[in-house]
This record gives sequence, C-alpha cells and structure tokens, in this order.
Amino acid sequence: MFPLMKLFSSNKTAYLALLLTFSVILFFTLDLFLGSVHIPFKNIIAIILGETTEKESWRVIVLESRLPKAIAAILCGSALSVCGLQMQTLFRNPLAGPYILGISSGAGLGVAIFIMGLSFLGVSTANTSLFANYGLIISSVLGSLVVLAILLSIINRLKDIMTVLILGIMIGSVITAIIGIIQYFSHDAQLKSFILWTMGDLSSITTGQLKLLAPVVTIGLVLSFMVSKSLNAYLLGEDYAKSLGVNVKKSRIVIILITSILTGSITAYCGPIGFVGIVIPHLARILSNTSDHRILIPLSILLGINVLLIADIISQLPGLEQSLPINSITSLIGIPFIIWIILKNKKITNLN
Amino acid sequence: MNISSLSIGYDNNPILENINLVSNNGQMIGVFGRNGQGKSTLLKTIAGLLPPIKGQFNYEEIDTLSLSEKERSKLMSLVSTTQTDVGGITVKDFIAFGRFPYTNWLGINKEKDYQEINNAITLCKLEHLSHRNYDELSDGEKQKVNIARAIAQNTPIIILDEPTVHLDLINKVEVFKLLKELVNSLGKTVIISTHQIEYALQICDEIWLINNNKIEPLTPTQIIDNDKLKDIFNEDIISFDKASQSFKLK
Repeated sequence: MFPLMKLFSSNKTAYLALLLTFSVILFFTLDLFLGSVHIPFKNIIAIILGETTEKESWRVIVLESRLPKAIAAILCGSALSVCGLQMQTLFRNPLAGPYILGISSGAGLGVAIFIMGLSFLGVSTANTSLFANYGLIISSVLGSLVVLAILLSIINRLKDIMTVLILGIMIGSVITAIIGIIQYFSHDAQLKSFILWTMGDLSSITTGQLKLLAPVVTIGLVLSFMVSKSLNAYLLGEDYAKSLGVNVKKSRIVIILITSILTGSITAYCGPIGFVGIVIPHLARILSNTSDHRILIPLSILLGINVLLIADIISQLPGLEQSLPINSITSLIGIPFIIWIILKNKKITNLN
Repeated sequence: MNISSLSIGYDNNPILENINLVSNNGQMIGVFGRNGQGKSTLLKTIAGLLPPIKGQFNYEEIDTLSLSEKERSKLMSLVSTTQTDVGGITVKDFIAFGRFPYTNWLGINKEKDYQEINNAITLCKLEHLSHRNYDELSDGEKQKVNIARAIAQNTPIIILDEPTVHLDLINKVEVFKLLKELVNSLGKTVIISTHQIEYALQICDEIWLINNNKIEPLTPTQIIDNDKLKDIFNEDIISFDKASQSFKLK
C-alpha cells in the first residue's frame, strides 16, 4: 500500500477518494432503503445478515430485487467509467466512450436479432423465460465480439488510431441501420421488449447473473489498473509512447479487449447505459486536476459508482409505482454536463 | 555506429535506398536536406518508429532495429516535431516520463530516478518552471521540457527531429548549445535534423547531407569548402556565402 499512497500527489485527491468512498456507502444504503414498498432500515440490515424477518415478502424484495440492483449499479458505474477513460486516452479524443467503437451497437444487434429476429424463424421466445434470459446474454456478448473481431483484424493494418475511431463510428451506423430494418419488420410485442432493453434496466438482473458479472468486471478493472502506466505514456502520443518503451501494438489490443469485455458483459445484462463512460472521466480529471491514470482509474470507479447509484435512486423515487428507465436518467444528467464542460471548461481539450 | 544497406520509406515506396554510412559515437550529427528528401523518414526509421524496407542500423554492434521497444528505449530517446499538448500534468511529472523504461509496472520513481529527473531539470535550466502546468507553457518552454524528458531517459543516443522549428532565435541557440553540452560533457550521440543550417554548421561535428536520393556524411568544413550547399539550395534566389558562412538573398 505504501507506494500507492505516493501516487496521491496532493492530500486533496486522497480526501476526495475518502469522501467518495463514504458517499458510495451512503448511496448504496439509500438505494436499498428506498423503493415503492417501505421496509424499516433495521429489517433490511437483518435480512442482509441472513436473519429471519417478520415478513417473507420483505426478504424477497431486498434479496432478489434491491440488493442485486444496487450491486448491478456498482458494477455498471465502475466498468463503464473505466472503459470511457481508456477509450478517451487510447483515441486521444475527449468524446470517445464505450459506444464509439460500435461495440455496444454490436451487442444491440445481437439482442435485436434475438428478440425480434427469432420470431421470423418461428421460434417463440415469449414462453421460455430461462431460454430468453440466457439467449439475451449470449447474443449480446456474441454481437460485441463480432464487432471486436472485425476491429482487431483491421487494427494492426492501420497506422492511425483515428482511422480506427472513424471505423468504429461507421460500424455503429451500419448496425443501427440493420437494427432499424429488423425493427420495421417485427411485431409489436417483440418491438416493445427490445425498446425496453435499449432503455437500460438494472432491475432485471438476477443473483445468478451477478455471480458471473461481478468476477468479470472485477478482473477487467484490475487489468485496467495494471495497464495504467501504458495509458499514461499514450498521453504523449503513440510515437513518444513507443520511444518510452511501450509495445504500442500489444497494449492497444489489450486495452481494446478489456474495454470490449467490460462493455459487452455490462450491456448484455443491463442494456446500453449512455453517457456515463464519457462524462465520468472528465469529472475525475476536473476534480483531481491530473491526467495520471493511476489516480484517474480509481477515481473514475468511485465517481461512476456514485453516479449510477444516484441515477438508480432517482429512477425509483418514492411515490412512483414503476421505476423510470435508467438510460434516460443518465442521459438527462450526462448531456447537460457535457455541454457545460464544452462551454465553461476548457479541460475537455486536455487530451487533444 | 553504422548504417548498412538501409532502404527507408512507406509501403515499398522507397524514399532513400541503400544507405551506407559509418559515423563515430559521441558527436553531434546534423541531418540536412530540402523538404521531402527524407530527413524525418530517416530519423523515424532509426528511432524504430517506422519499419525499414530493408537494412540495419548498428550501434556498438547492436542491431538496434531488431530490438524490442523496451530495449530500444534504454538506448535512444526521441524529440519530434509533434506538438504534445497534455493537460493536468506538471513540468516535473512530464520530465519524469523519461524514466518510464526503468520504472516498475506501476511507474513508481525511485531515488535514482529522481536524481536523473532533477539533473535534467538543472541542465535545461527549468527549475523555475518545474511546478508549473505543462499546458500553460510557451512553445519554446515546452520544447525545452521535451528535451529535458529525453535527457532524463539517459540514453546514449538522442534523436531530435527539427526540435527548433517553433522557437525564436534565442531559444534556438539555447537548444543547440544545450545539445552540444550533452555531447561534450556526457559523451552522448546527438542526431538532429534541422533547417537552421548556419547554426548547425557552427555547432555540429558531422553533417549527413541528403540530396538527390543520396546521403553523404561530411564535416562542416568539407561542406563549406566544396560548395556542397549549392547543389541543394536553388542558386537563382539564394546563395551560400563562403566568407561569412551565411545565406545571402539575390
């Protein structure tokens, strides 16, 4: 731990990290506490500790709805924020995020084919919930992997990383067009369930799915931190990174692989959740006033978790029978923030 | 240090073919040539940024072009024309990038690394700037910080591609003097491409002259005495005056 402490160039950043850790605990607790059904706080604690409670329905709500949803928010917030940070540095573009490479779109295409396309073949996905559940995940991961495979096969032949970025946007547009065609020809019921998926949903995740998602995200985040030195070198541009001993080709592939797996798995389970990946890294840079990834990665994780927990709390404000789509909330928080950065703060040009 | 049967260029579209030359280490080498003659391509190739079409660049028996990035980064450092503009980093931390090849996976600097960083700061006389933010500096200051970063990398070879291009007169001369000092006091080999021919002739030990798809190693005296610059620079509008060792407009 001692060398890690050296990284915090100022006490300010260390205090900020501490503060954010406390607020994660606070918002996590609030997220468990708030909801359409009122459950006393001490009962929630008792349920989580595995003790018996007065009402069986409370136990079900906490353990099978609220707790998985809060954990999903934590995984989502941390994974998407770190992906955005890595993309912004790798592509030296302040507006890069997990979406820009077309990886999320690929996941979307997989899901679109699964939800809407299969009915053409006469396969009904409505009745078999188990099949639907796993099919959704598999098709989403497959979709993002296909885009990833296309990108990786081309990436070493391209000298300029900006070309890769443009290619990602092109792939995304083509996929959106294909999804549009599938939507046009599909039935109302399937169309609705696909649209619901695109709105993003933390609540559909089950404990069983979390057991797979949590280790994948944790490994991805640890690997991200381990490549932070290469990411720092990328700040100077690829030529300088190379002259400082970074194997540019290898680390480029490693960074893109980490990002795709994180984005692909999160998108499969929670749907596309927008703007977290773009906004959080900027927030981390502004608050810490540094470009050092060894600080930015932990800070982005903490900020991302906070923001997603807040978004989830907003989505289920008391008085509302149903929860609001989380993607709309992150967009409503995120877009004004991006505009504010562009207009007010020149920090966005930091990356050039 | 020798270059043998080296062909350089992009995608089998050679710019310079079959370069063969031998030079001494520990001197300041200037690379002269008109735009598009291949100065940058040559420097990028020997710095390992661009794969050669064929051939070798050997330094003390080491075939540098077959080294890994990591190994090469301990042998040569680079300062290019590319303007790096990165925010949220102090001058000192920017110079610390030079220690990258030597630090562990997390990039933690040790006592030795701090010594090298401070040494580079002192040599480049950047003490007064070391706690400023890099993106607040002027172009001239940035270039000096970049050179300090290369010095902190502490490599036997330093390659600079037109390092003085954005600088005013005083800054240009300061950079040349600083590089010469590195050669004289630390025995570095400095390879620098430049259009500042008049200063370079005064300060370089050797010139690699690129003209008509050929490259020729010469001493500054040979260049002046044999009117070598006449071939390169169009006589109708400008000429090199031997006596004053400077260009005169016609």
